[in-house]
Amino acid sequence: MFRHTSLRFWTLGLIAALAIWRALTAEYFGVETVTEIAILAILVIALDMVAGFGGMVSLCHGALMGAGAYAYAMLTVKAGLAPPMAFAGAVAVTGAASWLIGAVCGRSHGIYFIMATLAFGQMAYSLVFEQPIFGGDDGISGVPRIDLTIIGLDLNDGRTFAFVSLAVLGAVYWFATHVLQAGLGRSLTGIMHNEQRMRALGVNVWRIKADMFGLSGMIAAAAGALAAQHVMFVSPGLLNWTVSGEALVVVILGGLGTIIGPVIGAIVFVLLKHEVSAHTDYWHLVVGLILIAVVMSRANGIFGWLEQRLSRLARPVPARDVIANQVRKDLAAKGSLEDA
Amino acid sequence: MLETRNLSKSFGAINVTRDVSLKLERGERRVILGPNGAGKTTLFNQLVGEIRPDKGRVVLAGEDVTALPVQGRAKLGLSRSYQKNTLFDGLTVEENLGLAASVTHGHWHNIRYDSLTRRDVRDTVREVAEQVRVMPYLHAQVSDVSYGVRRQLEVGVALATRPLVLLMDEPTSGVGPEMSAGFHDLLNDLPRDLTLLIIEHDMDLAFAVADTITVLNYGEVVFDGSPEDARDSKLLKDIYLGAWEDA
Repeated sequence: MFRHTSLRFWTLGLIAALAIWRALTAEYFGVETVTEIAILAILVIALDMVAGFGGMVSLCHGALMGAGAYAYAMLTVKAGLAPPMAFAGAVAVTGAASWLIGAVCGRSHGIYFIMATLAFGQMAYSLVFEQPIFGGDDGISGVPRIDLTIIGLDLNDGRTFAFVSLAVLGAVYWFATHVLQAGLGRSLTGIMHNEQRMRALGVNVWRIKADMFGLSGMIAAAAGALAAQHVMFVSPGLLNWTVSGEALVVVILGGLGTIIGPVIGAIVFVLLKHEVSAHTDYWHLVVGLILIAVVMSRANGIFGWLEQRLSRLARPVPARDVIANQVRKDLAAKGSLEDA
Repeated sequence: MLETRNLSKSFGAINVTRDVSLKLERGERRVILGPNGAGKTTLFNQLVGEIRPDKGRVVLAGEDVTALPVQGRAKLGLSRSYQKNTLFDGLTVEENLGLAASVTHGHWHNIRYDSLTRRDVRDTVREVAEQVRVMPYLHAQVSDVSYGVRRQLEVGVALATRPLVLLMDEPTSGVGPEMSAGFHDLLNDLPRDLTLLIIEHDMDLAFAVADTITVLNYGEVVFDGSPEDARDSKLLKDIYLGAWEDA
């Protein structure tokens, strides 16, 4: 069950400060890296919502991001829709498709769920690759960025785009943690821990799974629509299953079921990619070795390792234990705390 | 309140329940006895919808629920606890009760607020925690509390759904005599309008709480009557109570 902890707040604050500092002071390449990290972080938060809190390890989130990117590109370039409308449309259409995928795959578990999502992802990849309307292997170019000059923001400026991407990441982080602490998120966590019992309590299990998968797909689509604007181009490679695989690696690297962990994973992954690939083509090998080390350490990713070492800061903030606190207050008011 | 009509279930050539017909009145406390393999748990599974019967009907509060899935029957007020603890082990005691209470009060699906902070959920958690005597452990992780507390919580999670009928599958399974006596008080303190159907092997507890006793043997109802009649029944002694009587 998602819980705010002091460590999470401190980590979030530190990441936000560093990201803003980099976006303000870095040269072109550094700013682009900030944007790339922000977009990947949005995608992996979406994946962590379902994998870390619902046990739904999806291998189609890359395809969902790609679907969001293509939907945005199609709606702007081919249909001529205004970019803000296209953004909303891409998120809505992909969200609906994700809900359907969640409704179907949510009836399976474990390896079967993974394979079912992989199948959906590969079907989407094939469709985009084969259908001429999607531009085939050439993809779609000339994807416009949203015009925010009305509020004084020029998204054609890379630095401004990075800040907007970070703002979207912040909003997604807030939304994800909010939903995970709301009834839907708590029900999903209950299902992950004991699906049979949740059903016996009267919960419609597949509906919870489908709804959360739909919300997760909407977030992945937002990442895709941002990615399409970032490079102003979309290609079928965005929907490849390897993108989903990389997203899963990032989630595990950072810390499954923590939300902040995958953000750390995204930072480490992108920085490793750029730094190591400058020296060798085998940068995946280095990432692989680090992933093995993280998994073998028995910590829950990098953030899990931090939590183990800073356990005092990893306790839930007191405000979280609402019921127990309220119960104690009520009992104390009745003077019956000792009886309890 | 709860009725079964000719409920039958076979697995291959084995008839696990055969034409089981029961009728529980509102507030009745009925204990089901029977040797291992008599079909008691299979009967429970059919009542809650975890197993579909081959034949027969299940009627809850006048409504035929035979075709309803587990969650549909739960929504109508049929709740159960399990012989083996079926809790949310990674969560705290309060979160276990809170999850069940969130479902009861219709907060299980919202995305706007933390369901555990709602007044109605908090009240239910407090009330049930007191009923099943887990109040001192609200903050504790389920995996950290004793087996006995987990058995109490098992019943508490079922109670937090505010059921009309509560099915308890061996609530004292695996607990010592002292804890078993505690369960006696716990069951006696439950609201009198709550209908209870209990599978129990602890004879002292069974005879102390039961208004009616039903005995299953090879999937068939072989006795249905008061605890006093059950004590005097020779058939019962032959198939089940011999060891108890000797002790």
